[in-house]
Amino acid sequence: MQVTLPSSASSFDRAAERARVQQERRRSAIVDLVVTLSTIALALLVGFLVMLIVGKDPILAYSSLLSGPLSRSHRAGRWIEDATTLIILGLSVAIPFRARQFSLGAQGQMFIAAMIAAVIAIYLPLPPVLAILLPLVAAMLAGFVTGLLPGLIKAYLNANEIVSTLMLNAVIVLLYDFLLTNVFTPPGAQSLRSELIQPNSMLLRLSAIFGINLGRANLAVVMVAVLVLAVWVLLSRTPLGYEIRIIGANEKFARYGGINTQRTIALSFAIGGAIAAVAGVHLVLGVHQRLIPAIAAGLGFEGIVVALLARNNPLLIPITGLFYSYLRVGGDIMEQEAAVGAEIVQVIQAVIILLLTAQVLVNYAKSRHRLMRST
Amino acid sequence: MEQALQAIFSATFVAAVLRVTTPILLPALGGLIAELGGVANIALEGIMLISACAGVLVSIATQSEWLGLLAGLAAGIITALVLAFFHLDLKADIILSAIAINILASGGTIFVVFLLTGDKGSTSALVSRQMPFIEIPIIKDIPLLGPILSGQNLLTYIAFIAVAGVAIFLYRMRAGIHLRAVGENPDAARSVGINVRSQQYLALALSGALAALGGVYLSMGYVKFFARDMTAGRGFIALAAIFLGGKTPLGTMIAALVFGLAEALSVQLGNLRVPNQLVQMIPYIATLIALVVYALVQRQRAIAHQRRFRQAPTP
Repeated sequence: MQVTLPSSASSFDRAAERARVQQERRRSAIVDLVVTLSTIALALLVGFLVMLIVGKDPILAYSSLLSGPLSRSHRAGRWIEDATTLIILGLSVAIPFRARQFSLGAQGQMFIAAMIAAVIAIYLPLPPVLAILLPLVAAMLAGFVTGLLPGLIKAYLNANEIVSTLMLNAVIVLLYDFLLTNVFTPPGAQSLRSELIQPNSMLLRLSAIFGINLGRANLAVVMVAVLVLAVWVLLSRTPLGYEIRIIGANEKFARYGGINTQRTIALSFAIGGAIAAVAGVHLVLGVHQRLIPAIAAGLGFEGIVVALLARNNPLLIPITGLFYSYLRVGGDIMEQEAAVGAEIVQVIQAVIILLLTAQVLVNYAKSRHRLMRST
Repeated sequence: MEQALQAIFSATFVAAVLRVTTPILLPALGGLIAELGGVANIALEGIMLISACAGVLVSIATQSEWLGLLAGLAAGIITALVLAFFHLDLKADIILSAIAINILASGGTIFVVFLLTGDKGSTSALVSRQMPFIEIPIIKDIPLLGPILSGQNLLTYIAFIAVAGVAIFLYRMRAGIHLRAVGENPDAARSVGINVRSQQYLALALSGALAALGGVYLSMGYVKFFARDMTAGRGFIALAAIFLGGKTPLGTMIAALVFGLAEALSVQLGNLRVPNQLVQMIPYIATLIALVVYALVQRQRAIAHQRRFRQAPTP
């Protein structure tokens, strides 16, 4: 039923209210940014102190960590390549995380996707565009199913999703290993790796486009842009995304409000799986152009940091992904140049997660910030 | 095939099962205490890794296995307390902070090992100590049981004794009963004067200690060195054992034995022509199936419970 009000007054109120809400939103975004930046600074400081304590030269180490990725063009290429993977992973994690589901299946989903994409790209001759689209779609479907399985048993049976996704990862990685050894590696080959994929399936390298050596960075960056937008639309502009966010805020409320929480939770796992699969496709069609052992090893938890730093906001994930892969690539360079183990980056990563999840610290930082603004 | 069967039905095989069960059983018992205290400890994996590393490094430095054990225990308990501090005092999400601790453990241990030894893979180039293997005088001469019950590592005995210990603690001791009350319903426990926070600190510290023993066993009993990510998911299999075991000490032990059996089998079958990746999958697939079965049983129970409730008022 329409309530009749003086139209001028109501539109005036609405505009003012909207402005107020928008200002509030902007302010909280700024506060979030400040909190995140200070967390990163604090984590880097911890790394600095660790190096100081163990008697390494932290200034030398940090200068190669922080300037390394830009020091040569092929290193910048490595940064772009790594960021591509991490941003996609961050997006894939953000969706179940928004629904407060701890799906850790990205690792396995990447391996599955790599296998499916490689089978098509190696053995099935296809015309140019289709040779990329078909492996991509097939791999995403596989990722969807691989995500759906733990999603279903979580949503309908309330089985611990952490255990189920990690176990599934282990099974898939072993399966990958088995198939690579016994099926994909051609008989008589010197090392454990598949044949190259067909040229039609290879994603164009950025080096070929720009004429400078950008390593293995490739056109998958376009996929990243598309995915960022798609995930943002999904979460912010569709009913499903709304349901995911409500479940994340308060699952009981969502259920009483008439949302089919079980279906939505299972879907959040599955969509995350389909996106993680794109990262796997990027590794096969773009980076390695064949299957190699442990193709996506060590990437399992990286997406979590990227998503957490961005507070699961898809529009911020490219920024945090670029930042975090910068640290990763910088860490490798630091290891070469300063003989400090690249694993210090993992330590910094852990500190970032710990600090960002510590509600008390975050709230304290926020209240300090407000205090400073009000005085 | 005949050979395989012979290998499986032998005393050495059973002894091997006990050997590989140990590093699953110890963290599983720890995880059980935490789970019943209402603070699911996903960081078992990381705690084991840190303790395995600390134990080996201290035993290299001091050439004493006992100091190594102490260092491993201390490292495990401290790590668990850090997790407890972040969760209970800083109100961090326990799952995410546990994931952070696992990452910290994986990276931090390699960082430290690389720093001290210059080798990233393992400490096998250096001489570290091992916890003693114990020959039990009379039992070791019993024909079939001798080689199974005697000659195991000290920590293997401790693991199986700990099953009884944890059971007594949880069901017969005041602290354990309070702890379970906290896990069951923190508000109710608080209302009768139980300090929820300190109970959960206790639960996590105990789980850290038991996981630490598991880690020390891996690097100072099962083998004699520390290697990168040597826990290989045992901390997570331990979590699964808790669920499969119906969240009781005895059940957890049986579940851990099942996983131990699967792993020992995979080693045996690996000696034959069976591709070892497929065999290695067995424990993980078993875990997945167990997880689903346990969830189904729980669901049936909940439904039955509901029905009883509904029927109660109208006799």
